[in-house]
Amino acid sequence: MNKNKEKLLNSRYRAEKRFQFYGKSAIFLALLFLTIFIFKIFSTGYTAFQKTWLIVPVTFDAETMYLDENPSKEDLEDADYFDLALQTMFNLDKSASEKQQNDLKRMVSYFFEREIKRELLNDPSLIGKTKDVYLTASDDLDQVFKGNYPRDLPEDQRRVTDYQLKIFDQLVEQGRVESKFNLSFFTYPDSREAELAGIASSFMGSIFSILVCLVIAFPVAVLAAIYLEEFAPKNRFTDFIEVNINNLAAVPSIVFGLLGLGILLAVFQLPRSTPLVGGITLSLMTLPTIIIACRASLKAVPPSIREAALAMGASKMQTTMHHTVPLSMPGTLSGTIIGLAQALGETAPLILIGMVAFVNTIPGSPLDPAASLPVQIYIWAESAERGFVEKVSACIMVLLGFLIIMNLFAQIIRHKFEKKWS
Amino acid sequence: MIKINSKNVDVFYGKKQALFNINLDIEENQVTALIGPSGCGKSTFLRCLNRMNDVIDICRVKGQIIINDFDINDKSCDVVRLREKIGMVFQKPNPFPKTIYENISYGPTIHGMAQSKNEMDEIVENSLKKAALWEEVKDRLHEPGTGLSGGQQQRLCIARAISVKPEVILMDEPCSALDPIATAQIEELIDELKKDHTIIIVTHSMAQAARVSQNTGFFHLGELIEHGSTDKIFKNPENKRTQDYITGRFG
Repeated sequence: MNKNKEKLLNSRYRAEKRFQFYGKSAIFLALLFLTIFIFKIFSTGYTAFQKTWLIVPVTFDAETMYLDENPSKEDLEDADYFDLALQTMFNLDKSASEKQQNDLKRMVSYFFEREIKRELLNDPSLIGKTKDVYLTASDDLDQVFKGNYPRDLPEDQRRVTDYQLKIFDQLVEQGRVESKFNLSFFTYPDSREAELAGIASSFMGSIFSILVCLVIAFPVAVLAAIYLEEFAPKNRFTDFIEVNINNLAAVPSIVFGLLGLGILLAVFQLPRSTPLVGGITLSLMTLPTIIIACRASLKAVPPSIREAALAMGASKMQTTMHHTVPLSMPGTLSGTIIGLAQALGETAPLILIGMVAFVNTIPGSPLDPAASLPVQIYIWAESAERGFVEKVSACIMVLLGFLIIMNLFAQIIRHKFEKKWS
Repeated sequence: MIKINSKNVDVFYGKKQALFNINLDIEENQVTALIGPSGCGKSTFLRCLNRMNDVIDICRVKGQIIINDFDINDKSCDVVRLREKIGMVFQKPNPFPKTIYENISYGPTIHGMAQSKNEMDEIVENSLKKAALWEEVKDRLHEPGTGLSGGQQQRLCIARAISVKPEVILMDEPCSALDPIATAQIEELIDELKKDHTIIIVTHSMAQAARVSQNTGFFHLGELIEHGSTDKIFKNPENKRTQDYITGRFG
C-alpha cells in the first residue's frame, strides 16, 4: 500500500516536471523565432540608415550655366545646371567614350543636378571656382559600397558595368567616397530610385490615418460602450448587439477595405488614396476593439463603487460620469492604443482604398494622397531593385519601433493609473 | 415617534418571493436592529428603504413604505432626493478611490450644499468629527481614502453618509469586515449618531444588536416573525422561532 502511494507520488512529481519542461521549451522556441526574425531584419536593414556619397569636384563655370556677369539670385534659380552637371561627371575621366560617358552619368542619382544647384545657391560666390560637392551615389553603387552587391557576377548580369566599378574604385582610393547617416530616408517621400526613396510620405500618411481613426473611433466606441454597459436594459436586443460587436471584431480587415471602397469612395465620393478614407476605414476596424476594451474595464469597476455613489443620492448619470467612467479610463485608453497599433499595422484595407498608389509628395493634411508604413513595405518589397531590399527591412524596423512604443505606452497607462481596490 | 412606516411590503426577485407582507414601524432617533439567519431578507428590506433595489433589474417591490407622510414607492418619488435624506453604509467599506476630502465632499457637492470652499471645509471637518475620524486623518485629508485601515475606511463611509445630513442612516452589517476594536468604535459611534439620525442596522451578531439597538426585528425566511423593543425580544420573546434563534438553536 505504502509502496503504491510512493509510486503515485513520484509519478505526480514527474508529471509536473515534464509539464514544466514542455512550457520552458515552448518559451525557448518562441524566443528563438523572435530572435531569428529580429536578427534577420536588423542585419538586412541596418545598412539602409547609411547612404553613400561621391565627393566630386565641381567647377562652377558661368559659361556652362549660360549665366551673364553678376547674376542675381533669380538668375541662379533659373539657370540651367544640366550641362554643368554632366560636365562634372565627364571630368572624372576625360578620355571616356560616349558610352562610357553615359556610364559616368549614371554613377550618381538622377537628382544630382539639383544637389549641385543647391550648393551654388547656398554660396553664389562659388562662380568661377572649383569645390568638392557631395553627390548621392546611384543605388547600385551604394549597394556595392555596402557589400550587398556581388561584384564577381559576369558583367552582362550586373547592373553596374566594369567601367563604372573601375572609376568607383579609383574614387574610393582617393577617399572620394563617403558613407554618412541616411537622413533622407526619414525626410524624403517615396521614389522610384532606391537611393532617394524615404518614408516621409508613408510615415505622415500613417500618422494622419491613425489620427482620423482615433478621432472617429474613440468617441463613438466609448459612448456605445458606456450606454451598453451602464444604461441599456439587458434584453434580447442588447444581447444581439453585443454578439454582433464581437462578430465585428472578428471580421477580416479586407472586408472593411471593400466597405471603404464601395461606400466611402463609390457612394460618398471621398478623395481616393487619402488618409481620410484610410482612417475612416480603419476606424470601423478599431471600433469593436475599443468597445470591447471599454466595456471590459467598465465591468471591472466594482459594483460597490456604483452603490456608494447611488446611495449618496447621485443620479445614474452622475454615478457613471463621476465614478465609473473615470475609473475605467486606464483600461479604455490602453485598449484604444492597442486598437490603434493594430490599425497602424493594417495593410489590406488600405490597399483596397488606393493608399497603395505611388506618392512622391509628403502629405500635408488627411486630404492629400499618401501611403502608409505597412503599405510602403508592401510597395518596396515588390520592387526589383536591390536597393529596396534593405529599405523594406528598415521600414519594418521603423514600424516595429512605433508599435513597441505604442504598446509600451499602453502598458504604462494601465499600470500607473489603474486604481487598486481595497 | 414613528419615522418609517412600512405596510404590506412584498419583494420579488424574478419569480421568487423574497419578502412576505412586512409591516414594520421604525422609531425616530432610535436604533433599530434587523436580525435573522442568512438569506432571511433583512438586507433586502433595508435596501427597500432607500430604493437601492432599483439597481437590480429583476427586483420588484410592492406595498407602501411611508417616510414623512410620503410613500417612497410612489411614482412621484424622486430617488435622488430620497437618498439624500436616507444615507447608507455598506457591509464592506467602499470609499471612492479618491482623497479623504473628496470622499466627504462628494455628496454635498452634488446636492449643492456648500456655497464656498470654507463652507465645504466646515462640512468635511464636522462630518469627520461626528464619525470620530477627524483626529486620525486631519493631517492627511488629501491622501487617498483607500489607504486607510478597514475600520477607518468604514468610519470614512459613515462620515460620507452623514455629510449630507440625512434623517435616516441605513447600515448593512457595517462591522462584519472589521476586527473587534474597530467594531467597538463603530458601535460607540452609532450610539452617538442616534441623537441626530434614525438608524437601522442589519447585523449578524445578536450581541451587537443587544448592545446598540433599542428596537429589534427578527426576520426568518422572508417574514418578519417578531418585532418590538430589544429588551423584550432578547429577554422575553413571544415567538418560538425567535427564542430558538436567540438562544442559538439555529441560524
